Amino acid sequence: MSTETRLWHRAPTLLALVFATYALEACAADSPAPELPRVALFTTGGTIQSKGDHRQKLMEYNAGRVTPDELVGDLPELASIANVEVTEIANIGSGGMTTELLLKLAKSVNAALADPKVSGAVVTHGTGTLEETAYFLNLTVRSAKPVVVVGAMRPFTAMSRDGPFNLYNAVRVAAQPDAGGYGVMILLNDTINAARDTTKNNTYRVDTFVARDVGPLGFADSDRIAFYRKPVYRHTSTSEFDVSSLESLPRVDITYGYQEADGSAIDAFVAAGAKGIVLTGGDREAVERGQARGVVFVNSDRKGSGRVMQSERVAERNLVTSDNLPPHKARILLRLALTQTSDPKEIQRMFNEY
Amino acid sequence: MSFRRSPSPLVALGALFATFAAAISAQEIPSYPPPGLDSPPANLPHVRLISLGGTISGTAKERLNVTNYGAPRLDPDDWVAALPELALFADVTTEDLRQPEGESGPAVPHWMKVARRLQELAADESVDGIDVTHGTNVMAEVAYFMHLTVATTKPVVFVGAQRPWTGLSGDGPLNLVNAVRVAASPDAARKGVLQAMNQNVHSARDVTKTSAYRVQTFQSVDLGVLGVADPDVVKFFTEPTRRHTTKSEFNIAALPEPLPAVEALYAYSDAPGYLVDALVEHGVRGIVIDGVGAGSLGSLADAVEAAQKKGVVVVATARTHGGRVQDTPRRHESGVIPGDNLPVEKAKILLQLALTKTTEPDQLRRIFNEY
Repeated sequence: MSTETRLWHRAPTLLALVFATYALEACAADSPAPELPRVALFTTGGTIQSKGDHRQKLMEYNAGRVTPDELVGDLPELASIANVEVTEIANIGSGGMTTELLLKLAKSVNAALADPKVSGAVVTHGTGTLEETAYFLNLTVRSAKPVVVVGAMRPFTAMSRDGPFNLYNAVRVAAQPDAGGYGVMILLNDTINAARDTTKNNTYRVDTFVARDVGPLGFADSDRIAFYRKPVYRHTSTSEFDVSSLESLPRVDITYGYQEADGSAIDAFVAAGAKGIVLTGGDREAVERGQARGVVFVNSDRKGSGRVMQSERVAERNLVTSDNLPPHKARILLRLALTQTSDPKEIQRMFNEY
Repeated sequence: MSFRRSPSPLVALGALFATFAAAISAQEIPSYPPPGLDSPPANLPHVRLISLGGTISGTAKERLNVTNYGAPRLDPDDWVAALPELALFADVTTEDLRQPEGESGPAVPHWMKVARRLQELAADESVDGIDVTHGTNVMAEVAYFMHLTVATTKPVVFVGAQRPWTGLSGDGPLNLVNAVRVAASPDAARKGVLQAMNQNVHSARDVTKTSAYRVQTFQSVDLGVLGVADPDVVKFFTEPTRRHTTKSEFNIAALPEPLPAVEALYAYSDAPGYLVDALVEHGVRGIVIDGVGAGSLGSLADAVEAAQKKGVVVVATARTHGGRVQDTPRRHESGVIPGDNLPVEKAKILLQLALTKTTEPDQLRRIFNEY
């Protein structure tokens, strides 16, 4: 190995030192205000808490996890905007998120926000299923305080990593009293998006989260946090869903529509005990077989933009339409809906309102 | 090959049809009646349809002429006659507020006249919602002016078309029906002035024309739509949080006429300072510079400083057409007011209104933060 290469290998350490020095200076310059907002930070893992073995490692980064202490210790700037109180829920990739963890997270966020001294909450999450957890919280957090779900596209150890600024901005928004009432927000790349409307749009770019149909709510810019939009559908403090006494959720699966797709997947999910199935097209006879066994079916769409229309013809078949929810979010809403009812008309009302 | 020089029976038939179509102004609408028209619902909302003209009122002799169309322009009653479907959604009455043919004067005094009329209609209890047609080129500016100066909670919806009424696959008819559906929707109230084309509903503040000819031209580049006019329902997902209509401190009844003189300049590499000097000599009270990148004045900076010393207010917008111009420490110190994410032509309107109240930098910054 040449000297040059060896120096290159040491670069992350050098870089970290330089950053840490800058950070401490910035911190010392603005002495913390006496009464800082309290922000509850819940960590679940994800790329923002992942390490690679060198700074060019932008994929398959498996060189260890970042602990909550490391994550917060990396950002001394937080000390001038909030008192951050950390709770570790998990430290996993988003593909490993479970119903048990979702319920634990929702209950923990609710408990923290019930404290009148807590301004808001931040949740770290892997980006792969971040929007599902964010939408679950949008439906189950019973508070008008700001809740921000944050992640990163580049790991903790990477060159030009996006995690630190994302986390800093997420805490800024959660600490801001007038950021409440927007429902659960997703914040990456300076952009504040609504949990309901936002989807991961690209496998690797930092601008991956996009609300394709409706656009963002606002921006976390250096001069201020600027809001432009407020959701008008039901969420958080106006949601009817209560998970405080739930230990599990009904099983709901998704079938993908494609040319010559037959009913095999639907039949298999019904046999496996699904109480609901979200369709993006599917075999009509298999749907009817499932309905005969009490399974609720929701029509979603695989295009990723636009609403599925309601029509008398669809309603007559006892099918629920998903509005513009993509299948994986329709699944979240259907699971919560099935904790209350299995009447397709009542579930359609929920899909119209949330 | 030229269609015009070699008339075939088919072309002759097409021309005949086009003439007929222009006469009845409904050639793109299938002639069979939609369901429900025989017994339309009673007690429908009253929507006032105001014509300010535009491509949606333009006609041509040939259906393929979608670029050089014009007179004879349709009267608003022609639209209603061509669209019996409107009876399913609203009781539509019309009003023609176009400037008389051949007498078109400057635009802003006419906007003020229209704003006064909209304010009257806002007070008229028999009116539930208002549609305004307009040419698409400056529709977004006019809509933003009304958004800031007309105090009403009623839906006010701007609508137009990219293809003339006689154009093949003209977008006007469906745009107009949907705009009436939006104006008739209780969900459209309290959302400020709206713009509805191509089955989308935008906020007047954020919408901009992005394509010269395509039907999806209107986009809210930074922020996206508020809602949609889909075949099943008119549905809103969000509402604007910036001040407008009833929450605006500017009202048409209290505005001086003419409004303070404000002009706009485009920044580019080596743009000469004499452009700014010329506006100052002309006596403007404000200049909006569509700056490079995040609102940088570049080569215009020295001339801007000289203009400010003479009391001219300068606002910076970003020619990137996306993203906010921020109140950075250096800009704050320079006294240049950040235009937030308004495009230059809308920042010009807001500055004209702001200058009727104040020239104080902190107040101007507040106004650009709040609207």
